Amino acid sequence: MELLAQANFWLEPAGSPALYTKLIFALLVGFGVIGLLMVAPPAARRPVVAFATFLAGLYWVMLYLWPVPIAREPGQLPRDGVESVGFFLKDINSDVVSFTVILTSFMLGLGIYSLMRIHVGRIRRHHEDAFFSWVLIVSLLLMVGFGYADWSSRLGERSALLELRDNWGFVNYARDFLFEGLLQQMDAAMFSIIAFFIMSAAYRAFRVRSVEATILLATALIVILSLMGAVAFEWDEGVARMANGNPLLLNLQLTEISQWLRNTFQTSSLRGIAFGVGIGALAMGLRIWLSLERTGGSA
Amino acid sequence: MSIGERLQSIPRWGVYLMLILVTSVPLFLPIRVPNKPVESTIDLYAALMELPTDKPVLIASDWTKSTRGESQGQFNSIMRILMRRGINVVFYSTGDPQAPRVYQDSMRVLNEERAVAGEPPYERWNNWVSVGFFAGSEAATNGIANDLRGAFRGRKDFAPGRGLIDVFESPVMRGITKVQDFPVLLVITGSKTSNITVERVSGKTPLAFAVTGVMTPETQVFYQSKQIVGFAGGLKGLYDLETLMEVGINTDNPNTVKSEKYGSIPGFPGQKNDGQGTRYYPTLHFAMALMILMVVLGNVGLLLTKSKGRR
Repeated sequence: MELLAQANFWLEPAGSPALYTKLIFALLVGFGVIGLLMVAPPAARRPVVAFATFLAGLYWVMLYLWPVPIAREPGQLPRDGVESVGFFLKDINSDVVSFTVILTSFMLGLGIYSLMRIHVGRIRRHHEDAFFSWVLIVSLLLMVGFGYADWSSRLGERSALLELRDNWGFVNYARDFLFEGLLQQMDAAMFSIIAFFIMSAAYRAFRVRSVEATILLATALIVILSLMGAVAFEWDEGVARMANGNPLLLNLQLTEISQWLRNTFQTSSLRGIAFGVGIGALAMGLRIWLSLERTGGSA
Repeated sequence: MSIGERLQSIPRWGVYLMLILVTSVPLFLPIRVPNKPVESTIDLYAALMELPTDKPVLIASDWTKSTRGESQGQFNSIMRILMRRGINVVFYSTGDPQAPRVYQDSMRVLNEERAVAGEPPYERWNNWVSVGFFAGSEAATNGIANDLRGAFRGRKDFAPGRGLIDVFESPVMRGITKVQDFPVLLVITGSKTSNITVERVSGKTPLAFAVTGVMTPETQVFYQSKQIVGFAGGLKGLYDLETLMEVGINTDNPNTVKSEKYGSIPGFPGQKNDGQGTRYYPTLHFAMALMILMVVLGNVGLLLTKSKGRR
């Protein structure tokens, strides 16, 4: 078991032919398995998917529940079966994590494939919005091209020099313009639109139509005012002058009231919600892990 | 249409126009808003100022420019503190594939700022190292918590004149074998990666966060239960941080922030402390004032309509 944990199939020098051979082999095996699953009848596919799901979840459940070493010395050997399993779980952790990270990374490829399938199809069919599909594909290719060229330019002796803008060349400026100048700014612009929705929604929805709505409105008002530094500062200073050291009256400071609301009502409500969500996620996780969830386990 | 009905039905474009005006105009006016930093930010500042200088800090930089109003400023302020204290940094991201590029670009801008101030650059590889992006926040954070060397295995960064080299060869990573070797794990995020970090890393090393305004309530839960040592929440948290950097805690400065929990913790007077927080906070002020005004107008309209109906 220890040997299994220590053996690492991928420990080959970066860029070596042996590593590339293994990568190609693994890709072929992976696609082969996926292809086989796709052509297999559902009755044959279901147990395979259920077993793989169970195995994937089993590791994390065991890592959480099984006693694992917390202060293990280098070269220390397990004393019994329980410790052997604990050592094994700890030793393969990085491999399982790497596997999960790689598997998740493939979702990026899946996303690109899906985007290309839709937009290339639109261009082929001369869809009325084909222009936007062209924009998307050209933008994607430009970003990938200049991103890779920028990265390549940093390999070797010029890497430190390129940390300063003065030493940039065309590809570095082009990458910066596309990523920082366009993509990131559009990202920020999209996000800032939320402010308009919040303002409009607050104006239309915050009405004192009931006792509950009035309490909510008053609470929101106190919290908003406490976030306005000038208001909170002047209020607190005024109360401090008026209180003249009286600790009871100091509780009337806006920041104190706001803090009390947050610590007493807000955090307890959020904890309640978090517990509810946690229990729901646990139930859902169990159903998926044990393939009881038909939409998750019978794919 | 009665006045009450008019007050309740201000057209959407009118609301939007007012918002554009109140958020744009303050950007051109040099307004310094008085401030009283909240306890969570005071704790964050104190934690940053009390860090040992011989150990690197681990930073999960999980923000992109979509939340730059808050996250960019928080990143800059935290980095200015760490750079001035000479503390090395290890960066990684699990929240967004764009995040590593964003923090690398931000470090370049901060270095340009240091060059203008006549300070030596904070060198990549020698002062900070980028471990890069990990897809799948839950698994990656779990790996970092349980086996840091395994999680960072095979990760490379640019070494001056040497190209891509294993991050563990960087002087920044010297002596680092597990997450407990870092005196603090700082998470600067615009997403839920802070929650994932608490779930996976809590108890292994102290945690401190810089989060967006919308995440402040849920982060408060972890702060109250002492699972994190401190946090800066939203623009207010950022402005608090910049205020603390200017006046310090319990110092001789007449405007210093008073705190019974700490002794004297200096600020960085005379250096560039004002950033996005100082610039954007008046805008937030006016936007909130407008929101209160709009809510009041809507409710006055509702009450007028109701009283007219009763008559």
